[in-house]
Amino acid sequence: MQKNSLIATTGLIALVIISMIIAMALGPTTIPLRDLVPTDLWALLASVSASLFSGVEGPPLSSFFPDPTSFMIVFDVRLPRVICAILVGCGLAAAGTAMQGLFKNSMADPYIIGTSSGGALGASVAIIFLGGLGLPILAFIGATGATFIVYAISMRHGRAPVETLLLSGIALSMFLSSILSFLMYSAGKSLHQIMFWLMGGFWNVSWNDATIAFLIPLAGIFLAFYSRDLNILSLGEDDAVHLGVNVERLKQILLFLSSFVTGIAVSIAGAIGFIGLITPHVMRLIVGPDHRILFPTSMMAGGIFLLWADTLTRSFFNEIPVGVITAFVGAPFFIYLLRRRMQA
Amino acid sequence: MIEIDDLTLGYPALDILREINLSVEKGGFFGIIGPNGSGKTTLLKGLGRILLPSAGTITIEGRELSEYSFRDLAKEMGVVPQETNISFDFTVRDIVMMGRHPYIKRFSSESVKDVEIARHAMEVTNTLAFADRSVNEVSGGERQRVIIARALAQQPRILLLDEATSHLDISHQIEILNIMKNLKGEVTIVGVFHDLNLASYYCDRMVMIDEGRIAAIGTPNEVLTRENLKKTFSIDSVIRTNPMTGRPYVIPIINSGRQVHEKQRVHIICGGGSGSDLIYSLSDLGYQITAGVLGINDTDYLTAQNLGIPCVSEAPFTAVGDESLYKLKACIKEADIVVVTGMPVGPGNIANLRVLEDIGDTPVRVYQQAGENICAQDFTGGEAGRIISGLVESGAKVLNSQEELIGDLREI
Repeated sequence: MQKNSLIATTGLIALVIISMIIAMALGPTTIPLRDLVPTDLWALLASVSASLFSGVEGPPLSSFFPDPTSFMIVFDVRLPRVICAILVGCGLAAAGTAMQGLFKNSMADPYIIGTSSGGALGASVAIIFLGGLGLPILAFIGATGATFIVYAISMRHGRAPVETLLLSGIALSMFLSSILSFLMYSAGKSLHQIMFWLMGGFWNVSWNDATIAFLIPLAGIFLAFYSRDLNILSLGEDDAVHLGVNVERLKQILLFLSSFVTGIAVSIAGAIGFIGLITPHVMRLIVGPDHRILFPTSMMAGGIFLLWADTLTRSFFNEIPVGVITAFVGAPFFIYLLRRRMQA
Repeated sequence: MIEIDDLTLGYPALDILREINLSVEKGGFFGIIGPNGSGKTTLLKGLGRILLPSAGTITIEGRELSEYSFRDLAKEMGVVPQETNISFDFTVRDIVMMGRHPYIKRFSSESVKDVEIARHAMEVTNTLAFADRSVNEVSGGERQRVIIARALAQQPRILLLDEATSHLDISHQIEILNIMKNLKGEVTIVGVFHDLNLASYYCDRMVMIDEGRIAAIGTPNEVLTRENLKKTFSIDSVIRTNPMTGRPYVIPIINSGRQVHEKQRVHIICGGGSGSDLIYSLSDLGYQITAGVLGINDTDYLTAQNLGIPCVSEAPFTAVGDESLYKLKACIKEADIVVVTGMPVGPGNIANLRVLEDIGDTPVRVYQQAGENICAQDFTGGEAGRIISGLVESGAKVLNSQEELIGDLREI
């Protein structure tokens, strides 16, 4: 591993931890750190282990802290939100890295094969027809379903050429978007809700979402196992075959894992843009193109970026959709990096 | 090593190659030649399993190609494509290390042995010096060597080259093909070539493909014949033996397409290669050419022979005899004009010039290219020089270039 990569990895791990701590402290109500130190650590541990091992329900956890309300704000509201923001950012970055590697196209992002429009359509159907019931599930189905359709369309004689995948992804996205536009046009009062969902945010996340979100890094680790194959794929598909890569299988795995990760991300937080596009680019400029290092660093960077964007909107911007912040901050930073690279 | 049986191969609903049967021996250098669109590259794609046969089989070491796993095939066979576009800025070392991919298990990383093998591959291809530079920053020739190093890192027993050198200048072509030649024996090499003479030099055996079928197969001597080249490439050619390699050397006859059908008869007295250019361009223009007297094996004699031009000849290193002299006089009598080139003149061929002293009315032209002096190659103690001077004094024009000569011929 190169020196740069080592510094970047260590730095990012430290940043993840520091960012999580700061993010939990920040918010509309400021909570002093001493409120988060348990009054009696041993009693807390005893109670937790009792409930874990013998099923005895002890007193609520908040009663072990100096200020039960502060504890509840941090533990039940902020912590799941922080976890979701990090993991969703991490997932979008992982999927973006995989898609840019697969398509060898710098404009590729997790949504390139119809994931976002599919997810948006699923979510809108849930909002309009089911009053929001089952929204995450329908969003997930829409997002992953779109990818499968794109793959099926592109498949011919056992092969799915990337150019065809890309173009049919664009075509399907437009088709789904037109349905979405029609739904929005006829949505009436629900329009506001759909718009909010489309811009993406973490308003109502709970521990349930956070639990599901843990599937994201798991799938991300699976993606990272295909780093060497992705490196080789950057030489072109024929060359990859000559080097022993089963290219069609690799495409299936990458598309499946990416759409799974993106589907979960979208079902939790809506279609947050820009993270999946910019993070892999930025990290490639810093650690180089080797996916073995690019995957972990992009995932951490994506998590940190989205966490900070969400923390900003939550604490200072009165909960405007986080997607607004990611693009507003991310785009100029990206242009800066691009210009600097052009000068080098 | 490689056996191809009754192979039909191509793209869905479009067969490019039909009924291909051939075998490649272990350790040899096997060439594939043919015009654009004949199916050379398709054949290579079949061997590399990018395209699957629609009929027939390809076997490697007795095992059918389709039975190999992706990794096993990559251990057996390396491929060097014509050009490689690498989308990300990997270093040369990274690219070469990718050649080790088939040997590294999914959940492990490269071992000390892999690093050593990659280093060796870079050493052989002379790429070690820039191992840490980005592969997109090195020159075309260097990048192609990197790709070869990558293929060598696979430790393959077969190496496929798809016009691997056709983008490179001649020195890099030779450099790379020499690397390949040194591998011969351990590695079986199959290469698509555009340059027939490079193919002739490097290949032990070759196949010529024309419109998806085998047109010829065998040694370069058997394949690179005038008839085969005419049939497959639709070119006229002269096949010589490269004096330094003993391999056939193809000289295409470039038809200028000038199509001026002059009716005049021109007799050219030349020798030692001094008249080849005239014989070629005047016959191309449609003039009726005769030449001589020339010794058999003289360069000008071979040129005339290859172009099918009548030529008075004499046995090698023999002075012009009476019979030849008689034929020469007949040719001159028939000719509308006689051209004498700046050839070397010695006791053997001085007769060619003496004839001109009593030529009569037939106009004579002296052709000496700029900077040449006919008398400089006079090995007759000045006699040749005197004859030429005499000719010039009695009105023979001296012309210094083909254009001048052709212009002059038109006026007659």
